[in-house]
Order: sequence, then structure tokens, then C-alpha cells
Amino acid sequence: MRPLGWLVAAAALGCSGRATPEIAGDLTGAVLPIAAPRPSFVLTTTAGAPYDFRERTRGRLTLLFFGYTHCPDVCPATMANLGSVVGRLSSAERALVDVVFVTTDPARDPAAVLGPWLAAFEPGILGLLGTAEAVRQAQVAAGIAVAVRDSGRSAYTVSHAAQVLVYSPDDSAHVAYPFGTRQAQWAADLPKLFERWKGAVR
Amino acid sequence: MTWWCSATGVPWAWSWRPYPGVWLFLAVLGFLYQRFGRSTAASARYFGLGVFLLWVALDYPLGALGGYLAAAHTGQFMLIALAAPPLLLLGLRQRFAEWGANDAAGRPGWLRFLAHPGPAFLGYNLIMLVTHVPAVVDGLMASQLGSFTIDLLWLLSGCLLYWPVVAPAPFSRMPPPAQMGYLFVQTIPATLPAAFLVFSSYPLYSLYELAPRVTPALSPRYDHQVAGLLMKVVGDPVVWATMAVVFFHWANRERRDDLARVGG
Repeated sequence: MRPLGWLVAAAALGCSGRATPEIAGDLTGAVLPIAAPRPSFVLTTTAGAPYDFRERTRGRLTLLFFGYTHCPDVCPATMANLGSVVGRLSSAERALVDVVFVTTDPARDPAAVLGPWLAAFEPGILGLLGTAEAVRQAQVAAGIAVAVRDSGRSAYTVSHAAQVLVYSPDDSAHVAYPFGTRQAQWAADLPKLFERWKGAVR
Repeated sequence: MTWWCSATGVPWAWSWRPYPGVWLFLAVLGFLYQRFGRSTAASARYFGLGVFLLWVALDYPLGALGGYLAAAHTGQFMLIALAAPPLLLLGLRQRFAEWGANDAAGRPGWLRFLAHPGPAFLGYNLIMLVTHVPAVVDGLMASQLGSFTIDLLWLLSGCLLYWPVVAPAPFSRMPPPAQMGYLFVQTIPATLPAAFLVFSSYPLYSLYELAPRVTPALSPRYDHQVAGLLMKVVGDPVVWATMAVVFFHWANRERRDDLARVGG
């Protein structure tokens, strides 16, 4: 798999949104030069219910990642690291953050595959799926490069954006975490984000 | 061209890959032994077994897995630094003995120096500790030359570890009880990296934390914990086995001496 570069996504994110407020002096994640608004898209949860991302996560701290279960490298590493750290938060802290995974490979990621795959990393991670077109629109709405299937073979790979977007209670993404962010870095940054948005999370 | 196993970042697949550098290295070892080191058939068997263990550690699959899993990397360490060196040295012991007996004047002083427990303890543990520092592992394992360097350093460290025990009389003067005590003390410092691997809240090595997963069942943290446990639960008994060999060798010799005295 060839994950698309962070710079591409950062440039895409920079196309929209408002100015970045003082937020992230010492965060590991890359502070976006221009904040990206929380995207609006409707997909389906692994339980089969419709999920309006913007409405359901409005005013909350939300970690959004696009990937797929057959990914051989970036997705399992990212979700393993994220799941490990989120899974060790206190219940009070865990209630402050949503982790949302959108599959970029709807054909091979039905709910029966996506749900258990995510649960193996952390039971609270929300999996979203939809038609190829709906997933494409979600990526466009999030301002990231749209995933591309690499070939027509049955064991194909999907090139996709590799960063985790962090939406804050002000309904904007001010920071994103590229592939390679380590567990210790997540563990250091999440409390800072909680502190920064203390009292603001819905 | 991939000549030596290292971390590549390429997704893992259970498909054989050639590592000609490993074969060449082992072939050179074998050639040099045949040319300069071979003495008896028994010594050749020891050396051959040592080379076999090196081959298991360095070639596919364990060598390749060493670029993906900290546990496999530790398995390599145990084979290269703990299991193979005493066999290789036993294979050369007779040659060293002949050399020491026949050419006392030309005998290198550093071999005698390294047969003392102090330098051997410092040498082995310095290499063992440095080659487990995260920055060193992350930096070196990403390239074939770096990975090759780590493997060579481990082999050197293992030779340092066992030389005071295996070295023949002209080089080593430690009595068997002291040899056993020395080996036991040598297992203590490895507790430090092992404890860090097991008890660290987060994975120590970014290389293994971010490597493509070999199996979903083994998360980076579990992988590190398994590596730490292997280091102590399997690594220490390898050294203890050598202690047992020293003990039984000593006990047999004492019994023979007793019988000789009674008989005489």
C-alpha cells in the first residue's frame, strides 16, 4: 500500500476553514495552518444504523481516520497504537473522545468484517461504511485525498490518506497526526487536548 | 538487492526470500574453520552445530522476522549471542590449546586478558546493553549494513561472554566453581532491557511499533513483552545450560581423580 503523503492532505485541508486559534503549542501532531471544519457526511455504522457524522459528533473531540481492513501496514499499525492508548484512558476521559474509522474499501469491508476488526483494537471504536460513492464524498468533505484502488486483482491494495484528523469541540480540525505517531506520543497529546477543551466537550 | 535481513517496511508475507550475504558469511566461516581451525571430528561437530544455529538466526524466516517483531529480534539475539558462540569456541578449543602450548611467546596477550572475568563481563554487557538501546535498534535495523553490524556485534559479545569458560588452560585459569558463578552473574544485567521491554507502558522501539503486523494477534506492546520474557525465560536457561555442562564436566573429572587415587 502506498499511503498518500501528509503534505497532500494538509494542502487539501488548507483549502477551507477558519484561522487556527492558539491551541497546540507542544502537541506532537501537525498543527494545521488553517483549521478544517468538521465535515458533513452520512454513512452507516457496523450495526446498520445511519450515522450523520457532523450531527452526531458535533461539539465533541473526534479522531477520524480513513482506512481498510485488508491494509497490510498503515491501518493496523495506526489503529493498534490508537486503540492501545484510548483503551487505557480512564472512563471519564474515554467518554470525552470519539474514534471513528471509515472504510475506504467498502467491497471487502462489510459490517461483519469491519466490526470485529475494529473491536480487536478497542471495542469503542466506531466503524462506518457506505457505498463507494458515499465514502468518496466523505473523504472530499474531510478535505483529504480520495483513496484509490491500486489494481484490478482480487488481492488489491488501496492507496489512502494516512493521517488521523482531530476535530475539536469548536467543530474544526486544528491538528492532524501523520502515520508514524507513536503510542507514547498519543498518550502525551490526548491529555493536553482534554485539558485544552475541558468543559467544552458536549 | 537484499543480501542481509533487515527491517524493510514491506508488508510481511510467508514466502521464502534469499539472503546471499548470510550464506556467504556462513560459508566463509566454514572455509576458515576447515582451513585453520579444524582439529578433531568432535570439534568439527561443535563448530558445525554453532554455524547451524547462526544460519537459523540469520536466514529466512527468523532473520527476516527480526525486522518485524521485537520477539523475533530477541530470538536472534539468543541464538547469535548465547547459543552459537560456546559451540563455535568449543570447535576451536583444541586449536587454541595447541597454539597456546606450542607458541607461548607468540600467544596474544589480549586473548589471555579477555579470559579474565572482568573484561569479559564488561565487554559482553556493554555490547548487549548498547545494542538494545531504542535509538541504536531503530537506527541500525532499518538498513542491511546496520542489521549486519548488530549481528556481528552480538556474535562478538557471545564470544566474549563464553571465552573465560571455554578458553583452554593456557588462556584461562578460572576454576569450575568460579566459571559457574561468572556465568550466573553474566545473566543479571540482561534483566535491565528485559524489564524495560516487559514493563514499559508503551513500545520502546518505533521500528517494531510501526512495522507492518505479522499477525493481528500480536500487538506491538505484546510483542515487546514477549521479547522481554524471552530474554529472561529462555535466554537465561541457555546460559544455565552451559553452567550445567561446566558442573558435570567438573564432577566427572573429580570422580575420575578420586577413582584414580583409590586405584593407585
